[in-house]
Amino acid sequence: MNTIQKKILLLTTIVIVMMVMIWSALTYYNRQTQEQYNAILQRYLLLNEINEVSQNMMTDLNNFLTLSSVDHLIKINDSQEQLETKKKEAWQLGHQENEFELINYINLIGSLSETVERSIRLHDQQDAEAARSEFNDASRIADYISETTLALVDKELKTYDDFYRSIIQQSAELNQLGIWLLLLLTFFLIIVTYTLSRSITQPINQLTEAANHLSRGEFNVEIKVNSNDEIAFLARTFNRMRLNINELISEIHLKAQLEKELQENKLLLQESQFHSLQSQINPHFLFNTLNTISKKAYLEGAVQTSDLLVNIAGLLRYNLRRLNRSVTLQDEVTILKQYIDIQKARFTDRLQFTEEIDEQLLSVPIPALTLQPIIENAIIHAVEPRENGGTIHFRVYDEDEFIQIEIEDDGPGMPKQKAIHLVQGLLSPEEGHSTGIGFTNVVKRLRIFYGRDDLVQVDSERGTKISLRIPKQKRGGMM
Amino acid sequence: MRKIVTALIIGVCLLLAYFTVTSVEKVVRSDWQEPLPLDQTDQSYRLALITQDIDTPFWDEVIEGASLQARQDGVMLERLGNYSHNEDDFLRNLELAIHAKVDGIIVQGLDTDEFKELTKIKAAFYSIPIITIANDVPMEESLRRTYVGSPQYQAGQLLARQLVEDMGVSGEVVLFYDQSEPYFQEQRKAGIEEVLEQYPGISVIPAMTTEHMDDVLATTQALLNHYPNVDSFIAVNANIVAGMVQEIGRRRQVDSLYIYTFDDHADVAKLLEKNKVDAVIRQEPEEMGRLSVQLIVEWLNGETVPLDFDGYFTNIDILKAIDAP
Repeated sequence: MNTIQKKILLLTTIVIVMMVMIWSALTYYNRQTQEQYNAILQRYLLLNEINEVSQNMMTDLNNFLTLSSVDHLIKINDSQEQLETKKKEAWQLGHQENEFELINYINLIGSLSETVERSIRLHDQQDAEAARSEFNDASRIADYISETTLALVDKELKTYDDFYRSIIQQSAELNQLGIWLLLLLTFFLIIVTYTLSRSITQPINQLTEAANHLSRGEFNVEIKVNSNDEIAFLARTFNRMRLNINELISEIHLKAQLEKELQENKLLLQESQFHSLQSQINPHFLFNTLNTISKKAYLEGAVQTSDLLVNIAGLLRYNLRRLNRSVTLQDEVTILKQYIDIQKARFTDRLQFTEEIDEQLLSVPIPALTLQPIIENAIIHAVEPRENGGTIHFRVYDEDEFIQIEIEDDGPGMPKQKAIHLVQGLLSPEEGHSTGIGFTNVVKRLRIFYGRDDLVQVDSERGTKISLRIPKQKRGGMM
Repeated sequence: MRKIVTALIIGVCLLLAYFTVTSVEKVVRSDWQEPLPLDQTDQSYRLALITQDIDTPFWDEVIEGASLQARQDGVMLERLGNYSHNEDDFLRNLELAIHAKVDGIIVQGLDTDEFKELTKIKAAFYSIPIITIANDVPMEESLRRTYVGSPQYQAGQLLARQLVEDMGVSGEVVLFYDQSEPYFQEQRKAGIEEVLEQYPGISVIPAMTTEHMDDVLATTQALLNHYPNVDSFIAVNANIVAGMVQEIGRRRQVDSLYIYTFDDHADVAKLLEKNKVDAVIRQEPEEMGRLSVQLIVEWLNGETVPLDFDGYFTNIDILKAIDAP
């Protein structure tokens, strides 16, 4: 990972390397220049030294000739040796330009030595005059050495003129180089520093932006950071946190939904129980009374009345006992038939009832009192108001995974809007039902029981057809 | 926008880098070449050409010839000279060359004791060969190896003959010469006198002076006073001709006089051009220079040993004013 620390270290390294490079280049250059200066100075110094030594030797020789002291002789010998070594060094000064002068110079030094030696020898031989004459020669040669020194220096200046000028020129160029280098480095470092700081701060800004989104509750914006350092790591972690929060929230939503449904279910139950309680006025008394009346009617030969009363009693019992329990379709169909018998007694020929029932299917579980309220609706809307009465078809048949239950009447039907509201359970229950349970109640209980919404269909073009799709396999459901 | 800024930044960076690089190049680069070092083992001959005068047309030609030959032979030739006949400086140069142990000396002869002592004793001591050029000093006195230059005696004769041809066989002729009477002057004089003696109608008036301008002027003045009918002047030493002509010019028409001299002085060419001098002996300075170097190198190489003691003569001829360019 390219960490921020690495970046900073890199920048520092670059700066240090640059500084070291410039420093070493300058030092190297300075050393070179220094060496050149030294070499030049050495040349002049050497010339000057030779000149000086030869002059000193002349003074010593003069003193020696006058005083004959050994001290001076030693000094002269000393100077001779010095000259000898310097003569060898002087060869180093030579180049094509000053060849003639330099060889002259070296030969002059040789001549001087020889003449001085001769002079000393003559002095030792007590030939003072000849020694003096040799001394004069030597002194003139020393003068020539001085002259030639000057000539050499002159030549040196001429030869090295360009070189000296180039040195001056170079130092000026060096100053200019310094300025350019400073500008270049300044610019370069500004750019590099800016880029580096951006590469650090930009991800932070992006992260801040993302944090703002989260704090505003926008959990759907993905957190993206264009870098690969610690900030990117932070961003990834942050993003994972966002996803986790998102999941948690949707989970909470789901739970709330379930809670709400549960609540509704309980309310419906309470409502049904309330209604059933209302109609539970001393049910045993009512049962007993109805049974007594039935037996009485039977004894009095009113068989029909007796049967009717038995039916009513059965209906009542069913109604009271099974409301909050699941029953089989068989039970429902049985109670439906009892109810139809009662209504037939009431409407006689006005009510026509047909049924097509697939007996194989009657064992599925179904909420109690599901079909009776629908039939009652049909009777209320399609038979009761019409003088000629009406026909009600009741069908139960197999359809793959489902059992299709259809209750169809040939009444006037209802508006489409009403049918839709009916399916959605938006209509408030009307009074007038014998069991106190309306269609809406049935729809809602079916939904809760089977845990799905697509159970009820209302077609109302000619007459009204209520279709229930009951799954053969019950999955989920609350009851 | 971003692209423009990036391009701009890169541009500035490149520009700065370019300037820096050129600057570095300027600092590092140096056109100066170190002079080639000396080769100690293989030394060519070192010759010194020592003259009493430099920067005159005559000596320039000598030097030109000598330098050319020196380059051809691959020897070093150093010219030592000084302005306007400073004898002390000239002798110092000679002595310096001797003490510096050059391999050979080509020197303009000077007929003085100091010169002779230097050549005879000092040069001989270091066994340095000496060739006299243009002006000779007798071999017995200078121990020179040879002489390269004009045959002075013949030159005198040639000039005298020209005088007779121009002036006729009678007249007064002033023979103007330097009182120090150097060897070459004596020879010239002898040559002139030898010719003029053959003509009894010509009377020769010898006149001595020094090389100093004042003396020349005074002597000329005196001559003109003493010999108002003089017909001709011969300046045996070219050094005095300028002063002589100047003084004559102040007194009378120069054109009416026959004035002759030799060409080894800077003023002569100008006077000839202005027709103040009628004719001069023209020598071959370039050939002198060339030949002297050639001979000394030959001697040093042992090709021509010994050199001809009498000398090697270069050509001479008469240059008249009307011939002058």
